[in-house]
Amino acid sequence: MNLHPMKLVTIVCEAYAADAVLRLLAEVGASGHTSFPVEGSGARGRRLADIPEYANTQFEVIVRPELATLLLQRLGAELFPRYAMVAFESDVRVLRADKF
Amino acid sequence: MSDALLANLLSPAVLFFALGVAAALVRSELKFPEALYSALTIYLLVAIGFKGGVALAEAGLGRVWLPALAAIGLGAFIPLWTYPVLRWGGRLAPVDAAAIAAHYGSVSAVTFLAATNYLAAIGQTYESHAVALLAVMESPAILVGVVLGKRAGAARGGPPVPLGLVVREALFGRSIFLLLGALGVGALCGPAGMEKVGAFFVTPFQGVLALFLLEMGIVAGRRLEDLRRVGPFLLGFGVVAPALNGALGVAVGTAVGLSAGGAMLLGVLAASASYIAAPAAVRLALPEANPTLSLTAALAITFPFNLTLGIPLCDAFARWLQS
Repeated sequence: MNLHPMKLVTIVCEAYAADAVLRLLAEVGASGHTSFPVEGSGARGRRLADIPEYANTQFEVIVRPELATLLLQRLGAELFPRYAMVAFESDVRVLRADKF
Repeated sequence: MSDALLANLLSPAVLFFALGVAAALVRSELKFPEALYSALTIYLLVAIGFKGGVALAEAGLGRVWLPALAAIGLGAFIPLWTYPVLRWGGRLAPVDAAAIAAHYGSVSAVTFLAATNYLAAIGQTYESHAVALLAVMESPAILVGVVLGKRAGAARGGPPVPLGLVVREALFGRSIFLLLGALGVGALCGPAGMEKVGAFFVTPFQGVLALFLLEMGIVAGRRLEDLRRVGPFLLGFGVVAPALNGALGVAVGTAVGLSAGGAMLLGVLAASASYIAAPAAVRLALPEANPTLSLTAALAITFPFNLTLGIPLCDAFARWLQS
């Protein structure tokens, strides 16, 4: 089995930021994403997600390593100042490199 | 007056709200699934919109345009007086003052629904097409507040959000779209359509509202602990501003020829603070503003105040003014 190294970028943000995150993903050229509603707590306390408008969203996107760097840089510069969010990358290996 | 106050406090709507607050305070595990919250919201907006549309078809647009203009003007005016009070009276940052002003000028549909519920309970008639006022009064204050905030403060970094996006968010948030849509459907169907769907949209309405307010009680109650973080000024503002805006709304409603019930509803709209549409648009346009301040004031102070005291006060003032 031939596995290819890729980066998994995870973004957890308030739901208000979701549109901006999606636009950024498209701009840097990510070929897809997965998102789901989440709740939890962070440095600023509980993040209540009791109604959809106040919800939090987690995005997961698999990209080539150079794209992951670009994505995180732009997230940091453009969206971190505006919205409550965290983002990180991790190493993953995928079966079909041409999909990403 | 005290009878009406007591009757309101002992109504299913208010008691279920209190039950929700209690559930949050004792940290009960009671929790509504998100999907149920969304479903109840859709039901309430469609029901009130449809009913208003049918009334609109009967009343004709001629009777609505003046009160609608008054509602738009009122919505735009409220941030203009609350902003300086918050900015200099409350010594808040300009962008926070603008954000809170936008929330208070915009409206809360649930508060409006509770007010119609109150009028029905005491047997007071009102213009059912007043729901059109709810629809037009949501956006103006948001736009005024955003402009105030933009003028006052430089963006904290990141590229600026195009104003078009903000306008779209303010004008076509999902609640406005649904409300206006249902209003249109109701206006096209008229009374004949009401006969077909009345059993679903009218009869169970009060029960659904009570259930929704239970959830709103939980949502508001969970934010009570944020009260410590907003300070005494905003606590006072959250009570005094709706009282003044309510009186202003009743007076304006009376001046444009609404009945006592209709003027009371315009007063309640002016008194209410948005916690759905305004936060979404303000978050987009003024991300530097601290959402805890505006949301806590609107949801944990003003909403319970209006539900318990503001609504009967607006009603009493409207009757007094028109007697």
